[in-house]
Amino acid sequence: MSSPEQKQWRRTSPLAAIFYLGRIFEAIAKNAVQTFAPLAAFLVASGGSLATRIFLGLGVFFTITIISSVVRYWFFRYRITDDSVLIRDGVFNKTQLDIKFDRIQAINTQQNVVYRYFDLVTVKFDTAGSAKQEGHLPAVHTKLAESLKERIRRDRPVADNDESADEAPLNVRPILSLGRKDMVRIGLSSNRALIFLVLLGPLAEQLDNRVGEAIAGTRIETWLEASQMSLLAGLGLALAALAACLLLLMLASVIGAFLRYHNFQLVADEDVLRSTGGLLTRHEHSINLAKVQTLEARQNLMLRLFDRFRVSAKQASSGKPGRSKTFIIPLCTPDQLPALDKEILRDEFPDIDMQPKSAVFNAISPRYIRSRVLLGGILPVLILAGPLIALAGPPAGLLLIPWIPLVLLIAWILYKKRGYHICTEGAVLRRGFLGYRINAFLYRKVQRISITQTLLQERKNLATVRFFMASGTLKLPYVPHDLAKQLRDHVLYKVESSQLAWH
Amino acid sequence: MFENAEIQPESLPTVESVEWQLMDAKFIRRKLTESAIALFFLMVGTGGLQAIFNVTLPDENVNISLGWLWLVPLALCVPLFAWPLISVPKKAYAVRDRDIIYKSGVFWRTVTAIPFNRIQHVEKSSTPLDRRFRIATLQLFTAGGTGGDLKIHGLSTKTAEKLRFFILEKIGSSVEQS
Repeated sequence: MSSPEQKQWRRTSPLAAIFYLGRIFEAIAKNAVQTFAPLAAFLVASGGSLATRIFLGLGVFFTITIISSVVRYWFFRYRITDDSVLIRDGVFNKTQLDIKFDRIQAINTQQNVVYRYFDLVTVKFDTAGSAKQEGHLPAVHTKLAESLKERIRRDRPVADNDESADEAPLNVRPILSLGRKDMVRIGLSSNRALIFLVLLGPLAEQLDNRVGEAIAGTRIETWLEASQMSLLAGLGLALAALAACLLLLMLASVIGAFLRYHNFQLVADEDVLRSTGGLLTRHEHSINLAKVQTLEARQNLMLRLFDRFRVSAKQASSGKPGRSKTFIIPLCTPDQLPALDKEILRDEFPDIDMQPKSAVFNAISPRYIRSRVLLGGILPVLILAGPLIALAGPPAGLLLIPWIPLVLLIAWILYKKRGYHICTEGAVLRRGFLGYRINAFLYRKVQRISITQTLLQERKNLATVRFFMASGTLKLPYVPHDLAKQLRDHVLYKVESSQLAWH
Repeated sequence: MFENAEIQPESLPTVESVEWQLMDAKFIRRKLTESAIALFFLMVGTGGLQAIFNVTLPDENVNISLGWLWLVPLALCVPLFAWPLISVPKKAYAVRDRDIIYKSGVFWRTVTAIPFNRIQHVEKSSTPLDRRFRIATLQLFTAGGTGGDLKIHGLSTKTAEKLRFFILEKIGSSVEQS
């Protein structure tokens, strides 16, 4: 029976405005042009000195965002009933969410510095439905978050009877914890540094042009000439500047790692894996192990140098590619990897071995190299050679010559990194270029399977197998056709005979 | 009584042994009609472009001729009509007790299998041209896919409807434990 409290719509703490402020800034960062255009127009239109206009503009901007976040807090209501969490949100566009407890896969929490002081958290419900169905409870009391977690735990059919589930002591086992050195490793191996570099490329070009223009019209040029700085020295200066930029990026990345993963703890709580970490904002993420679709161990160039892995457990995606929900373990040693694999895929996949250098991996057919070179090397050269020679003369055609050996080298590396290990209950697939990416999955979780043969593959009795998982597609190229067919029949048997839910 | 009989890999049913069902005979005619319509619009477009740009300026002795444009529909004529004749016979499907298998492709030959207990929903659709030939498309959706995960185009309306019911029944009967 529902209590009077359950019938009441409740507001969260007024500090929820901080959560909405964060969301507004996030939205602004995503749509910077659209957001700042009216503000820029206002600044241009208004009179006064530049400093006054900037001051006025910032004032208007912060007033609007703060008012918006307070208004959003004011209109946010929630109610917890026997079987669901009801959320009413929105100022103009009203939405009402009904999140059933039995649909909630996990409850994740976030606690920033202010919330920590007031013992508040932001609760995020991870549901099996689409991303739109995911709800937040910003700035609620920690006790409420804990009781919700307990409620989900009780709903899960793990124990023989409800009584034992209520009374059983929590079986929380520590699995992994990361220290300060690990934060540095995470920061240095982060792909964000690479992304910054890619973004920095065009920016640097622009900057270079501007600096060139500036130098041309100022005394610096004369100063440079006077000091007879050679081209080599100039180049050295540019390299030093680049190195300084890189160092700054690495530092920013390391700081980012500390902010996100400081004091990272991974624990197993019955059939749930839970991670906590973060310097200012504490993040608590959890994943129901039964929902894991694929397990990925990644090692980029930096992680290879550090001899570490980054592990992700992927859940079903909401449809769009790359939108699968992922539980990340940012760093683990090669010794910790087997234990983690076993913890996540449990005793269902006893033969799992995700070490990239393991002898269990079989190589794919070397014909893979030939097809890559043919499609990526020879064919483009044949298509481009004619027009290029006609337009720019025969010497221009020579430019295309190094392309084929380059493609050959890349194809050879890709071929060497490809590998597969087929077991009774699941498979492990390896790929990579500079690093490694190893994926493991259980056959019973496959959604559909396809075998493709090109005309060349058909002649050589080879095929490419694609495993369509709820978290994305995994490809096993250039394996013997007979093996592909056997594998498909085995996977179908496992899927069709399994009485366990895949999600 | 609990049983746990050993399964030999050789004893598993193979996809290779299924009896493939070809697409409906009307599907080739439907595809050829589509090609004819595409060719017709291509020719109208070419004729229109020529009428607009085929201008002779006697004073300046300039004649802009776009006659070569007719080479485009002419060149496309053969593949447009040959492709359905080649590709449609390569498409086939087979329904087994627990899954549906579909094969297609001329240069890239793909055989896809979807177990019924992984299908989320089934959709039957048909365009006006499809309806003229009583043809329908059956789309099967699984989790994590971006669109119709398996699209079987070229079934007769009756077969598509029968299959839809059959699959829906199968989806309903597959019960899994969590």
